[in-house]
Amino acid sequence: MSLLDERPPTLAKPGWPPSLVIGGSLFALTLLVLLLAPWLLPFDPAAQDLANRLAPAGGAHLLGTDHLGRDVLSRLLDGGRFSVSIAAITLAISAVTGTLIGIVCARRGGWLDELVTRICDVLLAFPEIIVAMFLVAILGTNYLTLILALVIGGWTPFARLARGVTLEIESRDFVEAARTLGCGKWFIVFRHILPNAASPLLAHAALRFGHKLITVGALSYLGLGVQPPDADWGSMLAAAQPYLTRDPGLVLYPGLAIFLTALSVTLIGQGINVRRNRRA
Amino acid sequence: MFLLKRLGVLAATLLVVSFVAFLIPYLTPGDPARKILRARVGDLDLDPAALAALRQRYGLDRPLLVQYWDWLGNAVRGDFGLSYTSRTPVVEMIGHALTVTAMLAVTALLIAILLAVPLGALAAVRHGRPADTAITTVTQGFVAIPEYWLAPVLILVFALQLGALPSAGWTGPASMVLPCLTLALRPMSYFTQVTRASMIDVLESPHMTAARARGLPFGVAMVRHGIRNALLPVITLFSVWLAGLLGGSVVVEVIFSIPGMGRLMYESVVNNDVPAIQASIVCLVGLAVLITTLTDVVYRIVNPTVRSAHVSA
Repeated sequence: MSLLDERPPTLAKPGWPPSLVIGGSLFALTLLVLLLAPWLLPFDPAAQDLANRLAPAGGAHLLGTDHLGRDVLSRLLDGGRFSVSIAAITLAISAVTGTLIGIVCARRGGWLDELVTRICDVLLAFPEIIVAMFLVAILGTNYLTLILALVIGGWTPFARLARGVTLEIESRDFVEAARTLGCGKWFIVFRHILPNAASPLLAHAALRFGHKLITVGALSYLGLGVQPPDADWGSMLAAAQPYLTRDPGLVLYPGLAIFLTALSVTLIGQGINVRRNRRA
Repeated sequence: MFLLKRLGVLAATLLVVSFVAFLIPYLTPGDPARKILRARVGDLDLDPAALAALRQRYGLDRPLLVQYWDWLGNAVRGDFGLSYTSRTPVVEMIGHALTVTAMLAVTALLIAILLAVPLGALAAVRHGRPADTAITTVTQGFVAIPEYWLAPVLILVFALQLGALPSAGWTGPASMVLPCLTLALRPMSYFTQVTRASMIDVLESPHMTAARARGLPFGVAMVRHGIRNALLPVITLFSVWLAGLLGGSVVVEVIFSIPGMGRLMYESVVNNDVPAIQASIVCLVGLAVLITTLTDVVYRIVNPTVRSAHVSA
């Protein structure tokens, strides 16, 4: 106890941390809206109405229309399906491959561990977006290469975390006990290591999601991600840029959508961490 | 011994990365000579005679490893060839771009630290109270803001509405303000969180209690014993971010049309300018590995406990 810390110890609040509740419900709502988007869309997101360009918000077009007279709200809902699903798919693949590589490295050690650590060092030196940018340039722009590029740029933090967590759990007594009892390598991985590693990895995945969503948007913004006629939040933002002074809303809404979605999942990640620390 | 090993790893990393960079034109589908011509003239049916001449001029008809050896030899002497599009030496282009980006990155990170350390320290001192909650919530929210959204908003407010700052370009200190602020936001949030966390640890440590017990005023104890110790993790993070920002400011540089490394890479990717891509990859990996190695070395000099930890590991 420090002299500076005179307040009573914080009461251990039972139940769910508020950040988990707020983030979780916000994200669930977003997912629900995006899933139901085909039935909710007030207009066809691709339908142009050049007579009604850059219409202000309100009226039939709730958020107005863009530079080709397309309904902004419909495009937001439709674009979110691309943004969120690409971010989620790449995150899931990155997390699973990274975790597997990390666990294998921690258990095998030796040259394999050294090699993977060096690869991680090099890849981590590059921001994800640069790796993805170069790969998209080499492999061409389509959804498959976009996902592949984001996975190659994104598995390293998971490998590093999983490696660290595995090494830490392996040194615990209960793993030693299981080994003494004659449990197999993979039994220990599935029975002891994965369940204990799940919560930090899950928290990390949730904290990374916002970053992924922003990176997907950035690639689309640069014209290297989602290609027309499809549009995600990033490419909507890019298309709206020339009309910044005439209709700032066109830039504001897609950005706000990315921000709120990223924020909600970040809150979930923090909530998981709070719960974990509370248990520990 | 440690230094030798690190230098060896550095050299090996660079060698592998250079080979990958060299292979780029061969990894992409299509004939490199054809792509060079296409990047230059943008014509789809190319003259076969011109193709053959080009192939011979660039030695593209020789075995792959011989080509790599030559390319590497030139690269070591600082010659990565001419840019396909601008026909100027790639190394010169990268030299200019890196200076611009380095200025941008260092300024942004300094802004980030200057804001983050007091904020983090304040949050730590007020741990669990409203000020802490406010600082933590806001900085965590900042992380979710995409820079390609923040930048247009800043441009709209400060450049277009108020007319106080230039909206784009690289014309002097005024043109650096908006890009630096945009770039500083995310590192600032992370630095604040790290300062807060390490400061909370330091505040609870016995030497702080001892300092206060000796009768040192709170402010003096904070600065002399608190912040100085809490800064170590921030310094490590600074080097990580510096390496990242040297290449990672693509979006910001494109939006503000700043002639830096990020925009150079973006344009070379879009134009399929292979020499520029290769040279940027090698330079950036080299710099990043160099920065991490230097950080490790400095860390070992500053903090002797790390040295013994390395020996036992």
